[in-house]
Amino acid sequence: MFASAISKIRKVPGRWARRIVIVATVLVVGLAAGGYAIAKGSSGSTEFPQSSAIEAQYGVRFSRIAVVGDGGLITLTYVVLDSEKATRFQSDVQHPPELRSEKRDGGTKRVSVMKQGHTLRAGQTYYLVYQNTKGALQHSEKATVLVGSLSLQHAPVL
Amino acid sequence: MKRLTIRRPLALLSAAAVIGASALVWSQAAASVAMSEGLLCDTDSNQTFSLTAEDGYVSTPDGNSIYMWSYGNSKRSFQLPGATLCVESGKPVTVVLHNKLPEATSIVFPGQKSVKANGNPAQPQFDSGGSLTSLVQPAAANDGSVTYTFTAGSPGTYLYETGTDVDKQLQMGLYGALVVRPAGHPNQVNDRADSAFTAGKEYVYLLSEIDPDVHLAVERNQPVNWAASTARYFMINGRSMPDTLAPNNAPWLPSQPYGALVHIKPYDAATNPLPATIRYLNAGSVNYPFHPHGSDERVVNRDGHSLQGPAGQDLSYQKYDLDVGPGQTVDVLMDWRDTEHWNATTNPIPTQIPAITDQLLVGSDTWFSESGYLGTKNSVPANLTQNNECGEYYHIAHSHALEQATNYGAAFGGMMTVFRIDPPAGCASQ
Ligand SMILES: [Cu+2]
Repeated sequence: MFASAISKIRKVPGRWARRIVIVATVLVVGLAAGGYAIAKGSSGSTEFPQSSAIEAQYGVRFSRIAVVGDGGLITLTYVVLDSEKATRFQSDVQHPPELRSEKRDGGTKRVSVMKQGHTLRAGQTYYLVYQNTKGALQHSEKATVLVGSLSLQHAPVL
Repeated sequence: MKRLTIRRPLALLSAAAVIGASALVWSQAAASVAMSEGLLCDTDSNQTFSLTAEDGYVSTPDGNSIYMWSYGNSKRSFQLPGATLCVESGKPVTVVLHNKLPEATSIVFPGQKSVKANGNPAQPQFDSGGSLTSLVQPAAANDGSVTYTFTAGSPGTYLYETGTDVDKQLQMGLYGALVVRPAGHPNQVNDRADSAFTAGKEYVYLLSEIDPDVHLAVERNQPVNWAASTARYFMINGRSMPDTLAPNNAPWLPSQPYGALVHIKPYDAATNPLPATIRYLNAGSVNYPFHPHGSDERVVNRDGHSLQGPAGQDLSYQKYDLDVGPGQTVDVLMDWRDTEHWNATTNPIPTQIPAITDQLLVGSDTWFSESGYLGTKNSVPANLTQNNECGEYYHIAHSHALEQATNYGAAFGGMMTVFRIDPPAGCASQ
């Protein structure tokens, strides 16, 4: 199913077609993520949640939270929707999004390797690496992303 | 730039398709393959391996998806790099290559002697006009196969890679690592007792590069413009930073199963006397000047040979910059020594946290716990934004050629990872 969709889209040239592809991509990524979560048999919502308020204000769509560094680090990835807003979001080193466990007390806003050092391109994925302060987040639980006064709940932690 | 913007959405879409397709596969594998760090070996009691050369996709941290060729274990699915084969020195090895690619391919085993292909000496192949077609007997396109046999050579690390249309097929991903262990001493790098390492603290760093334009041309069956070829992605074990930090078999990287996080504790004569080992391999076309911050590493092997003199003198040496040339391998021993035994209460040496790159990687965003003492965390100054799990250290390790530490030009990324040093007592939250 995916393969035939790809081959059709690949034959369509031009900028307009590209925008359609971006939209389709986001949908398919969402479906794929959902498929993964179902396959893993995790409980509750299976997709990475989205917040149109966050997207409108910060120009980014968060796409994954993963515990890495053998438990000591967390990567938060996001897709840039609006280059200008996202560049502002990303260079505000004093106010990175905070990640909070929904199961336990604990969270982290300790960001390392933050700057990309240049304009963020729309459609591209970037990341923040967090210190997993006191083991704040664990695999296969749900977290809330707090950014400014906005929040994104029930994000799966991989 | 134009190519990039066109490529990316398509790439994302195919990445999504790949992720979707592999979701079910992963769920079956998940129960048996735990996420872990460190070397993941393919082993076999008869040292017989079945590899399938096939195509697939890998993802890069910026959301791109790259069409690749690689050697997967025939019982599993596509993976990059090829399966890491671990064998014992002096014993016969059999590698059966199945070829699902649309052109002939082969495997050469540099450093292994008297390799045979289907029972005959492995040797260069020529067409009827006398032109070289392959460095060894290949497996024919579309379901051909060939069996290579040899006796595992001196202990150490070797590349295995394509011997057919090498520039193209190597760029496409046809490479993997062969780890030859000393007979009877699985936890030594070579036959020397002083090459012993801590069991389980063993890491392979297979370094490589990708020019996405070449891969797109091959995928579309178009001619490759080699004159314009420029590598854009730089990888350790088929992953770029920050994916290098993720565990082995991370579910969001279904065809890139190998992580690149070194995780050790400080040297201690009683409780942690042995170093870790890191095996560097260069499957690319240029030098990768790889170096970890914070400590030198002891080079004990080059290209599968221990560094010793004719009378067995130890010729290993401490090195900061591990310059791994194309086709080369370098095996090192690495430990982390707390030479001055700082301790916040018993040996409090007043320090100011220096502004070295380990700590001040970018601006005020540090990797440390606001304390120079391993295992101690201080509160975070108002202008800093970090604190960690248990006072552990993270040393950046990366290619010193800075364009190799980017994801298509975006820093930081590429050939970069961290070495994690835990306090002697371990990490309570683990
Ligand atoms: Cu450096």
